[in-house]
Amino acid sequence: MVANSSPKYNDSKGYIALLGWSLNAIEAAARFDRRYLVVAPEWAEEYCQQHNIPYFAWNFERLNDRSMEIAEQLKEMGVDVALPLFEETVEWAGAINAVLLKNPQLLGQSMLMRDKSLMKRRAQLGGIRVGIFEEAHDREDVVRFLRRVNQTLLKLDGDPNDPIHFKAFDKAGCLGHRVIRTPDEVDAIPEDEFPALMESHLDGWEFAVEAWIHKGEIVFLNISEYVTLGYSVFVPASPELEAYRGQIEQQIKKLIKTFDIEFGLIHPEYFVTSDGEMYFGEVAYRPPGFKVFELLEKVYGFNAYQATMLVFDPKATAEEVRAFFPKEVVDADGYAGCFGVYPRRRVVSKLEIPEETENHPYFDSHELTAPLEETVTKRTAFGTHWGLIYFTGADAHTMKELLKHQEGLDFYV
Amino acid sequence: MNEQDVLLHALLKRLDSAIHELEAAAAFAKPSKLPRLLDIARRVLLQEGGCALLEARSQTLEAAGLFAGSDWERPQILVPALTSHALQSSDPQLLTIEALSELRLLAVALGSYTHPLISAEQAHHYLTQVMALNLALLFTPPNEAERETQGRLAQIPRNLFQHLAKRIGYEYIIDQLIDEIWRILRQRPIQVDAVKQMVTQIAVCQQDPTIDLGGSGQGADRLVSSLYGTTQACREDPGVTVYQERLDCMDNRALQLEATGFARAMHDTGLVSPYHAVLLRHLLAKEEDYLMTEALGLSSTGRDGFMCYRQLCRALIKQGIYPETAQGIYGLALLLERGILYQSPVAPSLWRQLGLQLAPNPRERLLLAFGLQLPPEARLLEGVLCILGQPLGVGQGNNPTCQAARALSMWAYNDPDYLLQMLTWAARDDEIIMHFEGQSISSRESAGGLATTPLLDLDPVSLLVVPHLDAIYAEMGRRCIGREGDPHRWVNPEFHGWWSGRGFHINVDVTTGKLDQLDSFLRAFYACYHPYYNGNQPLIHPQPAGIAITDSAARFIGWHAITLLRVALDPDEVMRVYFYNPNNDSGQNWGDGVVVSTADKGERFGESSLPFVQFASRLYIFHRDPLEGGATERVTQAELNEVKGYIERSWGIDRC
Repeated sequence: MVANSSPKYNDSKGYIALLGWSLNAIEAAARFDRRYLVVAPEWAEEYCQQHNIPYFAWNFERLNDRSMEIAEQLKEMGVDVALPLFEETVEWAGAINAVLLKNPQLLGQSMLMRDKSLMKRRAQLGGIRVGIFEEAHDREDVVRFLRRVNQTLLKLDGDPNDPIHFKAFDKAGCLGHRVIRTPDEVDAIPEDEFPALMESHLDGWEFAVEAWIHKGEIVFLNISEYVTLGYSVFVPASPELEAYRGQIEQQIKKLIKTFDIEFGLIHPEYFVTSDGEMYFGEVAYRPPGFKVFELLEKVYGFNAYQATMLVFDPKATAEEVRAFFPKEVVDADGYAGCFGVYPRRRVVSKLEIPEETENHPYFDSHELTAPLEETVTKRTAFGTHWGLIYFTGADAHTMKELLKHQEGLDFYV
Repeated sequence: MNEQDVLLHALLKRLDSAIHELEAAAAFAKPSKLPRLLDIARRVLLQEGGCALLEARSQTLEAAGLFAGSDWERPQILVPALTSHALQSSDPQLLTIEALSELRLLAVALGSYTHPLISAEQAHHYLTQVMALNLALLFTPPNEAERETQGRLAQIPRNLFQHLAKRIGYEYIIDQLIDEIWRILRQRPIQVDAVKQMVTQIAVCQQDPTIDLGGSGQGADRLVSSLYGTTQACREDPGVTVYQERLDCMDNRALQLEATGFARAMHDTGLVSPYHAVLLRHLLAKEEDYLMTEALGLSSTGRDGFMCYRQLCRALIKQGIYPETAQGIYGLALLLERGILYQSPVAPSLWRQLGLQLAPNPRERLLLAFGLQLPPEARLLEGVLCILGQPLGVGQGNNPTCQAARALSMWAYNDPDYLLQMLTWAARDDEIIMHFEGQSISSRESAGGLATTPLLDLDPVSLLVVPHLDAIYAEMGRRCIGREGDPHRWVNPEFHGWWSGRGFHINVDVTTGKLDQLDSFLRAFYACYHPYYNGNQPLIHPQPAGIAITDSAARFIGWHAITLLRVALDPDEVMRVYFYNPNNDSGQNWGDGVVVSTADKGERFGESSLPFVQFASRLYIFHRDPLEGGATERVTQAELNEVKGYIERSWGIDRC
């Protein structure tokens, strides 16, 4: 294979298996100085052959007894570590790395990361603040939880309920994330989203963190500020949120300790309530959605996939890691944000970027495509956006307002 | 910096970063970088001065891989005529990449970018053709349709063309356009609306004091005057009312001058001035038959026909010739010159045409296509005169109906009263019934033809007849389903007429698509059609044939129907095949040196021609009389090998 015979690879650096299909990740790997192997389902084979991408066929279903088989095969090939690209491959990476790195604990750790309820309990045990939460196996559980939460808040009958959050156990990000205010809304939850985790709603500032960890230490910590959950995010966070950086770092250290994380990229979500208290939401052991990696590259110039490969690589040295990462916030060239577009009308016929958006100096580019269907399906849960638009610019407040403002515009008419 | 500059500055920064991203990406990742780059480039194109900035970056853009893997990667094969579609597309990516390709060729043409695949001269030539073909985009604001489909995008081709015109110079464009118009006119198409539009554009350009044409545009005078100021009395384009008043005061000598002036211009260009129709109707009212033949520019043959069928000709003019249908005059003149009125069924057929009642559906179609100004009967009559006068001027429009167009042309050429019969069925009954191996096929009962959208861009006769023929042709094909081999073997003779040979030759195996029995195919074709091998027998009836169309890079495009008309030596003593191509513009480059000629090689109006060898190399189906064999054994292997060389370098490349 051409890509792997290139002289730029040397044996003192690790050989990394990427679990799951992501063109951006492959591209980053192809430009990096480490051997890599794409582990993806059979449909990717032809493409990989065509483009000389080192490839190993595997279908990631539920973790099963074949996990030993793939681990042994990768070990035989000389692979040093497996890196999960998607939620669905996290436990596979755990199982494989348990073998490759001779550390059986890694499997258990990955199972924690895959189960939102276990994850929360573990966090609680580690002294991390979490909201009220409970598991739901059917709709009755949801109704009961909704009522109990609102009783706790001393609401009287007829007062508007505080909402609760409902998240399917094993779905990533906003998929399967619903906000529920009334028992009526419970009926709309499809059967396949159970079991799920329910949480009380916290009024506050929601944000996410991407933390790269090497040898148990944080080597780079980014704070991603959500303008509106499910719609928009930008990096680095505004100076107001960055003011909490010290506190946030403490929280991440707790997380590392509690989950016993030695290396890798974690992507937790938090709330800061109005009294400055941090509440842990959830944590994922994989690259974040919403193209935060792309945003990071735009402002910091380093490739976040390569960064992740680096901290996963057991052969990477502390010096190499230190040299790779820039200094948080001070090294950033402005702010980069993106906005997920949902059609606002019920019937749409074409894509039309609003002129004010297109002519804004912060507007970078968009990934929207013309509508395939004229009727817009009603959004359930937070749903999936139709594409992202990207902005870059020098001022955090302009960015924030701009992203907020997009919510009131029609991109599909 | 003002707001505009700030925006442009930010855009350029993004543009350069997007170019860099594309450049740095591995080959497989390049496609994923293109959308952002194209989107930013689109916004730059919308800015004032954006074209110049992109022109300056064109070499970097191409080197980064902008065109990699697309047709634009090989600029030497790009076809100017295809740009119109791309530039008026509602797809922003297609439009943007087309515009960027044009700007790149501009850099090449002006010498700032030395391209490995295309020379500065070629690029220059290409761009002037593109400009000429899209002149409307340079001079007119977006029309309603463009605004509807393209929105703000419609500004991009305009910005682009203004930049191109400024950099290349208006004078080149105009001269190129004039050449282009003459090239099309020499093929004498029936439909000349597009040509008239281009001539009008030139006239508008010449009048506009803000456009400096330099020394160019001189050759346009003949074109502009043949439409708008043909003779002394209408020199300054006074309008038909004024012109009529002037005619009213003229004596016969003055009328004679007007008549010969119009006739000369008409036969020279193939374009007819609306004033010409005013004159002809004036002469009709005065019953000046002699002057009418003068105005038609007839030779002794045509004049004889006119005088023999005087009543008919007067009736045709009275009902069919108006300023809006002036092209009918040219049709009438050529019809008379062909002498077809002497074929006994033709004159009575035309009388039937004059009294024909249109069925509601055909009437509707004519009104939809040609508007309400004139009765649809007059439009149809103009169409009849034109198709009978210019059988090879029929075009298929932008429709997949080459067989139907070919049949109409063949009947107009060979069997005019049959054509008029077909037209009567279509126009009066809105139904055509043909027979296939003894079974009747009604156009109404057919499950539909190749054309999926309503046909409107056709001449009046085609407009009414083609939908029926298309349906019948498709039905005949359906009745051959299950038979072994190519259905044209049975369909062609039944569809076109008894004279289509029942002997059938094809050099492609229908199931595999591979070349099949090439030698015997070519030997049979030579022996039957080449005068050196068939006993010097000129072709008697037009014969349907099928060709493999290739593009300018000699790549296979598709199968196409044509008519074989003649095989003869050209002025340079080269044996050529003269044929009819229902395509609207037959001057095509088929690659590998095979360039179809439409003039100067002995072609009659509307004929296309190729040297025999080159023609044989694109042929895949022909018919012949199985009883007339010819001397197949005398065809030399050397000749066959030459033909096979052309085949193997083009459409036969994967078929051996």
